[in-house]
Amino acid sequence: MLLRLALATCLFALPARADVAEAVSDHILPGLAHFRDTTATLAASDSCDPAVLRPLYHQAFDAWIAVAHLRLGPVEEEGRALAIAFWPDPKGLGAKAQAALLKAADPAILAPDHFAEQSVAARGLFGLERLLYADPAPSGDYACALTQATADDLAGMAESVAQGWQDDFAATLTQPGPGNRYLTETEARQALLTALITGLEFNADQRLGRPLGTFDRPRPERAEARASGRSLRDVQLSLLALRQFALKLVPEAPQTQAAFDRALSQADALQDPVFAGVSDPQARLKLEILAQDIRAIRDAALAELAPALGAGIGFNAADGD
Amino acid sequence: MQRRSFLASLLAASTLPRLGWADAGSPAFLAAAKDATGAFVLHGLSAQGETVFALPLPARGHAATAHPTRPEAVAFARRPGTYALVIDCARGTQVARLTPPAGRQFNGHGTFSADGATLYTSEVEAEGSAGRIGLWDATANYARIGEWASGGIGPHDLKRLPLSDDLIIANGGIQTDPTDRRKLNIATMRPNLARLSPGGEILSQAELPPDLAQNSIRHLALLPDGRVAFAMQWEGDPADPVPLLGLWDNGALTLCPPPETEAYVMQGYAGSIAHSPTLDALAITSPKGGAVQVFATDGRFVATHRRPDACGVAAGPGGFIVTDGNGAISTLDAAGLLPRRSTALSWDNHLVALAI
Repeated sequence: MLLRLALATCLFALPARADVAEAVSDHILPGLAHFRDTTATLAASDSCDPAVLRPLYHQAFDAWIAVAHLRLGPVEEEGRALAIAFWPDPKGLGAKAQAALLKAADPAILAPDHFAEQSVAARGLFGLERLLYADPAPSGDYACALTQATADDLAGMAESVAQGWQDDFAATLTQPGPGNRYLTETEARQALLTALITGLEFNADQRLGRPLGTFDRPRPERAEARASGRSLRDVQLSLLALRQFALKLVPEAPQTQAAFDRALSQADALQDPVFAGVSDPQARLKLEILAQDIRAIRDAALAELAPALGAGIGFNAADGD
Repeated sequence: MQRRSFLASLLAASTLPRLGWADAGSPAFLAAAKDATGAFVLHGLSAQGETVFALPLPARGHAATAHPTRPEAVAFARRPGTYALVIDCARGTQVARLTPPAGRQFNGHGTFSADGATLYTSEVEAEGSAGRIGLWDATANYARIGEWASGGIGPHDLKRLPLSDDLIIANGGIQTDPTDRRKLNIATMRPNLARLSPGGEILSQAELPPDLAQNSIRHLALLPDGRVAFAMQWEGDPADPVPLLGLWDNGALTLCPPPETEAYVMQGYAGSIAHSPTLDALAITSPKGGAVQVFATDGRFVATHRRPDACGVAAGPGGFIVTDGNGAISTLDAAGLLPRRSTALSWDNHLVALAI
């Protein structure tokens, strides 16, 4: 009886295979720690001078892109993923919400607890982008205080996410079993594979797809982080992060890695930081090819990684009914 | 003697009295699935989510409906559907197969009249997707006995309103290609909830406000007070969050938006809906968002629960039972959502409670 009990405990406590554990220890936790550190550095600056803050903002944004595909766990709570990066925003909700804050100029809402309750559209990296890259730049003490409150709030969310993984969610993912959010190792692998695939689709369908619009109606104004000139950079950094993530999940996946390399070299060859070329037939073609290259990574990953992980995804999600 | 073998010997007896649901004992739920070999199956599940019987399906399944008195259910093909199977739930066997008439396609759902004499099926004209309600005589081997207009394009779920023989029909509004499910009229779609009399007369049609015309009304859950909760699928810009749950109260529609932080979770898609009498709450599922959202029956948002590819949901002992495409069967109660059983199946869109 004792032996059986011990055996059962042992089975349930067994960590997931190295794939999940390595992705957590080598990709997720370091990425989240870097996001926490860069946002803390940004928040620690006393300056309101855009020239001082912009490089710190870019470091924080770079760090976010490296973990933005990890849409599971603490980042899902309290709308954090939305508040960190409220994009796409086709109706301009962020600009409206921030304009309302600036107009009201109420110092009370800048207190951390209060600010965390403001609209997710007004907060985070895109809230900062509007403050740091507006032309003309909003001036005055309140705009400065709002910039600092936005940076503090961002750093607080990054801290909560990193801490939540460290304290709890890393174990949730690596030690599946009864009573846990993930029942089996397969489910934990599925969760990470889903994050990878969804991350690839986000680059193709949103970061590229939104500005591409249709041939007859390209939408260059819809490019992500256009004001701060990061649209292409976000795709490049995201692909680099996703490539590392895929490698940690399944080290031997030559087709997937080759597909990443193709898309990255296509992206690196572009001289189009904010996808302005969507309106020009020749430049547009290169962006469409990049989107296709990214979809090819997704197809390769589904063909190669899903069987290696023993985890299919999206039986119902892909159905639609 | 164990109950099951007793039941089996009882069933073997030739002087068998007609069985009712109470005699069947189990199953508590029906769910379609894809198995590890890629074959499509229908499982009868106990209240604990254990498989009581499994039957092969000719093609991918969708939903099912239970006969009000006989331990019999009809399982429907995924649209555009070419079959519906009548299942003897006491024996776990198929007793009849329905085929839509020429030019008609099943749309995945059906319901019985209060006396169980008539089966109503959600159908479309293959060309143009005009909605039809097929009528089948459940007292005469499910002979086709007629059809009505559903009051809209692309009907999906339908239910019989409590304490009446009126039908409520979710006319999803989407015209689809009869062969490949391509959506053909997204720019001009106009879903509605239609109420039909027992004679097939359209008594009312409730439409969404014009800015939500691209919110396809697809699935229904009856509330004990006569209202109907409906779940929607947004065909507009997914970055534009819209309510996915609404309440129909005798033709008047109320929408139930979640708070801003929860408004993007479902990615504009609710795949199933159920009401739990135990919790007096509604659950809508989103496989695309990997989440289940719970609302009070007054429309107030209660909570978001995460579950990858979650889609099937039905009232269960402590609240809800949730099934997902990765094979798990989970409980959702006041304490939260917890996966309980893992299977090698991909559970399909719906989990159908058979409790009458």
